Amino acid sequence: MDTFPATLLALAITAPIFVGLILLAGRDLPRSFASGFAFGGFAIPAVLGPWLLILWSNPSTAPQQFQSEGFWGFGFALNGLGAPLLAMTSLVGLAAGIKALTQEVEGRNTYLGLILFMLGGTLAVFGTNHLVGFYFFHEFALIPTFILTLFWGGEGRRPAAMQMAIYLTAGAMASLAGILIAIDASGVEYGVATFENVAQGLQNAKSIPAATGALVLFGLGTLASLFPFHSWAAPGYSAAPTPVSMLHAGALKKFGLYGIILLGLSSLDITGGSLGTWFLWFAVANVVLVGLICLAQRDLKQLLSWSSVAHMGPIFLGIWVCGVSGKADGLDAAAFLMVAHGLSCAALFLLANAVRARAGTYRLDELGGLATRTPILAALFIAATMASIGLPGFGNFWGEVGVFLALRAQPLWLQALVASTVILSAVYALRAVASTFFGPASEALEKRFASAPFGDLGWAERFAAFVLLGASLTIGFVPSLITKSVNPVAAGITTFSQHNAKAPVKAAPAVPTQR
Amino acid sequence: MIPFLADIDPVFKVLAPRPADWLSILPEIAVAGLSLICLLQAMFLPKALRSLIPITARVGLVLVAIMALTNGPWVQPTDVASFAGLLRQNLPTDGVRMVFLLSALLTSFLAEGFLRERDAAVADYHHVLLVVTAAFMLLVQSNHFVTFFLSLETAAVGLYVLVGYLRRSEASLEAGVKYLVAGGLSSAFLLMGIVLVYGALGSVGVADSLNFTQIGKALAAQSVANTISPLTLTGIALILGGVAFKLGAFPFHTWIPDVYQGAPTPTTAFLGTASKAAGAFTLVLLATGPFAPIAVKLAPLLGVTAVLTLLVGNLGALATTDVKRTLSLSGVSHAGFILAAVTAALVLPGANAFGYDVEQVIVIYLLAYVIGTFLTAQALVSLPAIEDHRRPQLALRGLLRRSPLLASALGFGIGSLAGVPPSVGFIAKLLVLILLVSAKLWWILGAALIGVAISIHYYFSILREAVVRPTDADEELAPLEIPFGTRFLIGALTAASIIGGLFVLFGR
Repeated sequence: MDTFPATLLALAITAPIFVGLILLAGRDLPRSFASGFAFGGFAIPAVLGPWLLILWSNPSTAPQQFQSEGFWGFGFALNGLGAPLLAMTSLVGLAAGIKALTQEVEGRNTYLGLILFMLGGTLAVFGTNHLVGFYFFHEFALIPTFILTLFWGGEGRRPAAMQMAIYLTAGAMASLAGILIAIDASGVEYGVATFENVAQGLQNAKSIPAATGALVLFGLGTLASLFPFHSWAAPGYSAAPTPVSMLHAGALKKFGLYGIILLGLSSLDITGGSLGTWFLWFAVANVVLVGLICLAQRDLKQLLSWSSVAHMGPIFLGIWVCGVSGKADGLDAAAFLMVAHGLSCAALFLLANAVRARAGTYRLDELGGLATRTPILAALFIAATMASIGLPGFGNFWGEVGVFLALRAQPLWLQALVASTVILSAVYALRAVASTFFGPASEALEKRFASAPFGDLGWAERFAAFVLLGASLTIGFVPSLITKSVNPVAAGITTFSQHNAKAPVKAAPAVPTQR
Repeated sequence: MIPFLADIDPVFKVLAPRPADWLSILPEIAVAGLSLICLLQAMFLPKALRSLIPITARVGLVLVAIMALTNGPWVQPTDVASFAGLLRQNLPTDGVRMVFLLSALLTSFLAEGFLRERDAAVADYHHVLLVVTAAFMLLVQSNHFVTFFLSLETAAVGLYVLVGYLRRSEASLEAGVKYLVAGGLSSAFLLMGIVLVYGALGSVGVADSLNFTQIGKALAAQSVANTISPLTLTGIALILGGVAFKLGAFPFHTWIPDVYQGAPTPTTAFLGTASKAAGAFTLVLLATGPFAPIAVKLAPLLGVTAVLTLLVGNLGALATTDVKRTLSLSGVSHAGFILAAVTAALVLPGANAFGYDVEQVIVIYLLAYVIGTFLTAQALVSLPAIEDHRRPQLALRGLLRRSPLLASALGFGIGSLAGVPPSVGFIAKLLVLILLVSAKLWWILGAALIGVAISIHYYFSILREAVVRPTDADEELAPLEIPFGTRFLIGALTAASIIGGLFVLFGR
C-alpha cells in the first residue's frame, strides 16, 4: 500500500493523463462538461505539485515514502531534483491549461486532451526514478507536442513540427543508446534500473564504453536545445500554439537537463577530457551566439523562443562548472535556474500571446504604445521580462547569480564573456518591451483599435500570469523552498562523481538522488 | 490399416505417427478444415447466405486461436518432436502460431468489403488465405527440410494467388507475376541450398541430413574438428538467402515495394505480416537451431545484412511518395530490426531483455508489427484512390476531415510502426535495442537508431498528408462511412497496441 505522499505523487501524474484519455475518447462531450473536467486535470497537479515539494523538503518524511508501488510493480518515485521541477511543471501546466481553456479551437476536446497528455508525461518524467521510465515518459510527452504543433500551430507549423520531430527523435535515439549502454555497463537489471542504482553500478563498473557520456550529453542536450543541436527549438516554440510553447519551453525541455545531471554528470564524466571541452564551448555558444541571434529578432514570439534557447546557456555552464570544479554550487544554481526559467518563460509566452490577440501581430515594428491601452498586460509583461533577465526578487536572479559566482574560479575571459550576455539579454528583452508597450502606436494598431477596440488582459489570463509570476517571486524571496531539496542532491552528485573520478573507493558513496 | 503396416515394416514402426502427433497439430488441421468448409459453403449455400462464409472463417479462426491459447495437448511447453522428428513444438512456435492466426483474422476483416466492392469472390479468397495460414503454422514447427520446404511452397503458391487476385486490375496481375518470379527464384535458392547441405553432410555419414537435429549435431562435431566443407557453408548461405527473400532482407528485398504496392491491400497486409513473420521465425529457427554451431561464422553475415537492411529500408522509404510503397520499404527496415535481434542471439547466446529471450522478443515484435500494419491498412483500404494508384501522393489528403476515426487509426498504426510510446511497437523496439546493447553490437545499434530517426520523417509525412486541408472539393473528399465492424476493430487494435505494450513491460 502506498504511503500518503506516494499516493499524492501518483495522483498528480495520473490525473491529467486520465482526464486527457476521457477527453480524447469523448470528442463530442458537451463543452461545459469538458471544460470543467479539463480544468480539474490541470488544477489537481497544480495543487499537489507544490504540496509534494513542501512535503519533500520536510525532513520528517523519508524519501522512501515517495515511492509508489504503482501499476504492475512499476511505480513513481520522487527525488530532490525532480520535486521542484515537478512543482514548477504543475504550475506551468495550470497556466497553460487556463490559456488553452480560453482559446477557441477546432476539435477543442482533443486539443485539451493532448495538452493534458503533455502535462502528465512531463510530470511523470520528473516523478520517476527509473531510467527506462524516464525515457518512456519523455517520449510520451513529446509525441503530443508534435501533434499539437502540427494541427493547431501557427504560421510555418508544418516544417517546424517536422524539423522538431526529426531533431528530437534523433536526440532521443542517441540518448536512448546512451541510457541503455549505461544500464548495461552498470550491470543493473533493467527492472530496477533507477538513477541511483545505475550510478552505483557505474561506479563499480570495470569499463564504460567511451561514447556513453557523449551520447547522453548530446542526445539529451538536443532536447534541452544545446548548441549546435538547438535549431529546431525557436521555430518549434514559435509555431506551436501558446499553451504548448509554454509547456514545451518551460517544462518539457528541462528533462533533457534533468537526465544530463542525474545520469551524465553523476556518473559518466561528461565534463572531463575532450568531451568536457566541447561541452564548455557549446554552452558558451548557447550564451553568446544565441544571444546575438536574439538581438537580431524582429518578431516578439521568435525573440522569446530564441531567448529561451539562450537561457539554457547559464544552466549548461552551471552543470559544467560543477563537474569541473567538483563543487556543488554551480549545480545548485543551475537547478534553481531550471525551475525559475520554466516559470518566467511560460509567463512570457502567455503574455506575448495576449499582445498578439490584441494587436493581431507579433512583429515588433508594428507594435507600440500598448501600455496606455492595456496597463495590466504591460505591467505583467514587464514583470515577466524582469524575471527573465534576472532582476533580484524573482527566482531567476538566484540562479543566474549563482552560476556566475560558481564560475569565479574559472578564467577571466570566460567570466567576462558570460557576464557580457547579461547585458545582451537585458538589451534585447528591454527593447522588446519598449517597442511593444511604449512609444507611439503604429498606424495599423491605431486603425485596429479604432475598428475593434480591445480591452485589457482578461481575468483568466491574469490569474494564469499571477500564478507563474507569484511562484517566481515566492522562490525569489524564499529560495530555500528550492534549495532545501536541490542542494543535497547536488552535494551528493559532487562527492559521488569525485569518488568516480578517483581510483575505486570501496566506501559507500552518497547516493545522488537522495536527500 | 496403419497399425497393420507398422507391424510388418520395422522402419514404418518407428516413423508411424502416434495419436499424440496428430493432436499436436490439431490447430493446423482445424485451419485447413476451415478452408475446405469455406469452399463447400461457396458450393452449397444459396446466394443470400453467402455472407456467412467470411463469418464462418472468422469464428473458426477465433476458436482455433482460443484453442492455441489453452493448454491442450497441441501446446508443448518444452521442446517436443513429433512425426518421427519432422516437426518440433515449443512455446515460441505456439506464440508465432498466434501471429499467423491474428494476421489471417484481420486480413479477413479487411478483405470482405474490399473484395465485394471490386466484385471479386470472397469465398475463394478465404479458402486460399486459410490454406496459407495453416501452411505457415506448420512451417514454423518444421524440424526437417522436407516439411520445411513443403509447407513453405504450399504457402508460396497460395500467396501467388492472393497477390494476383484482382484479375481485372493490371497492378495486381503485374504484382502477381513479379511475385511468382521472385518467389520462384527464392525457392530455387532454398532448394539448391537444401540439396547442397543434404549432399555434403550425407556423404560423411549423417543418417538423415535433412533433419534439423541431426544437421545441428553434425555441424557441431565438424566445427569442433574444423572440417566443415565449403559446400555445406554455401548450402547454408543459400538457404538463408531463400529465407531472407521471405523476410525481405537486403539484398533480397527488391521485390517488396513492387509487389506490396500492386497487390490488393488486404493481401499486402497479410504478406507484410504473416509472410514476414514466417521468414523471421524460420530465420531464428535455423540460426539458433541446426546452424547454431557455426554461429560465429553466421553472426557477421547476419549483422552486415541487418545494418544494410535497416539503412536501405529506411532510406528507400524516404524517397517514395506512394503510401503503400513507403510502408513496404519501412517493412524492410522492420526486417532489419528482426535480423538485428537474431544477430544478438548469435553473438550472445542466452541474451535477454526484461527477461524475454530472443524468440519471445521476436514474437512480441511481430505482434506489434501486425497491430501497426493492420491499423494502418484499415485506413488505406477505405481509400479507393490508393488502390487505383490515382494521385498516390494525394490519396490521404483530408482524411482527418473525411473520417477522424480512420485518421486516428492511421495515427495509431503509424505510431506503433514508428515505435512511439506507449504503443507496443515502442516496447518491441526497445527490447531489440536492449538485446543489441547487451551483445555490444554497436554498429547495428547505431544503424537501428539512425534508422528510427530517419523513419520519423516518412512516417510523419504520411500523417501530415492526412491532416492537410483538401484544396479541391471534389467528390472524393466526401465523408467516409465506417461500418460498425471496422470501428470495433480499430478500437480493439488500438487498445491492444497500448495495453499490450504495458503488459509486455510490466506484466512479468
